[in-house]
Amino acid sequence: MKKGLIAAFCLLAVMAMALPASAHFMMLYTPEIAKEKGGEMDFRIVFTHPAEAGHTMDIGGVQEFYALYQRGENKAKKIDLKNYLKEIDWSNPHSKGKGYEAMIPKKDVRSMGDYTFVFKPGYYFEKEEGIYMQQITKLVANVGGIPGNWAEPAGLPCEIVPLIKPYGLWTGNVFKGRVLSKGKPVANAEVEVEFLSHMPDMKANAMHEKSSVEYPHDAFVTQTIFSDAQGYITFGIPKAGWWGFAALGVGPDTEYKGKELSQDAVLWVKAVDMK
Amino acid sequence: MKRLMLMMTLAAMLAFAGQAFAHTPLCDCFDNGDGTVTCEGGFSDGSSASGVKMSVKDGGGKVLLDGKMSEFSEFTFDKPEGEYNVYFDAGEGHIVEVKGADIVE
Repeated sequence: MKKGLIAAFCLLAVMAMALPASAHFMMLYTPEIAKEKGGEMDFRIVFTHPAEAGHTMDIGGVQEFYALYQRGENKAKKIDLKNYLKEIDWSNPHSKGKGYEAMIPKKDVRSMGDYTFVFKPGYYFEKEEGIYMQQITKLVANVGGIPGNWAEPAGLPCEIVPLIKPYGLWTGNVFKGRVLSKGKPVANAEVEVEFLSHMPDMKANAMHEKSSVEYPHDAFVTQTIFSDAQGYITFGIPKAGWWGFAALGVGPDTEYKGKELSQDAVLWVKAVDMK
Repeated sequence: MKRLMLMMTLAAMLAFAGQAFAHTPLCDCFDNGDGTVTCEGGFSDGSSASGVKMSVKDGGGKVLLDGKMSEFSEFTFDKPEGEYNVYFDAGEGHIVEVKGADIVE
């Protein structure tokens, strides 16, 4: 019995080590999320490893793409954006794959307030691990400086709710958020954090080959934090740019097509240098 | 001791009063393309602009029309002929001017 247990542990340890160093991230990108005035917004959506401009992966279609808009104390309004999605070919330095672009016209995003963009992909099958992945992703933008629902849960199966304005972060700020599953806090959730060190090229639909970061060791590529007993996460932001947070396997769905499913919650924020 | 409490309360009240004035009024308008213009307003702290006085003046400063922000902090009016400006008037130091020339679809 004991021997069997030890063997099982060893196997687990080996499997854990075999996991790739860089993390999977559903990238939901638009160049500016703190906008002075309303105007069209251009998106690129790719499932990749953003810290290393790595492998791009097939997300198995799109379930939903919408924005929850709120200005001040008004009621939040849902704006469906799925029709604006167009499939594109995305090129990273060593990997090509499918992605999406979406040009949201001004009429949908002209008003001042918060826009919580939600992208819910289909399922990606990770062959090496024999599991499915689905990363439900949020990005909050603001127009004109009137805040809205940025700190409100979007009502997703799982999500990270920011507790510091996610579009108004200075470099050096401490990011704080709460990991939720079906609206309830998740204690001890493993959250991976990556920096978008290869900026997306909107024209070429590609990530730049050159990284803006020199990583001294694999451990720095994907930083890992855990939520506390109440589901809160904190992370000091060391550099201006885009930071992605992915709470792994926190969603209520754990199986898809008879295989294990990791339903993850992703949130992107942008930090700006004080000048 | 009592006096200290009183002073602290006063200080707290002052601090709160200061906060209330620390918000910035914000207003933006759009040409709806059907002969009307809609303005949306609010404050940088997210508080409602419902009931805020709105006025539209011509190039010479003559008032063309007056109104108020709706419960949704919106104000729609018929687009005037010629030059005009819109004023979101939330009291002294809290006035936003939106130039008609900047109001587009």
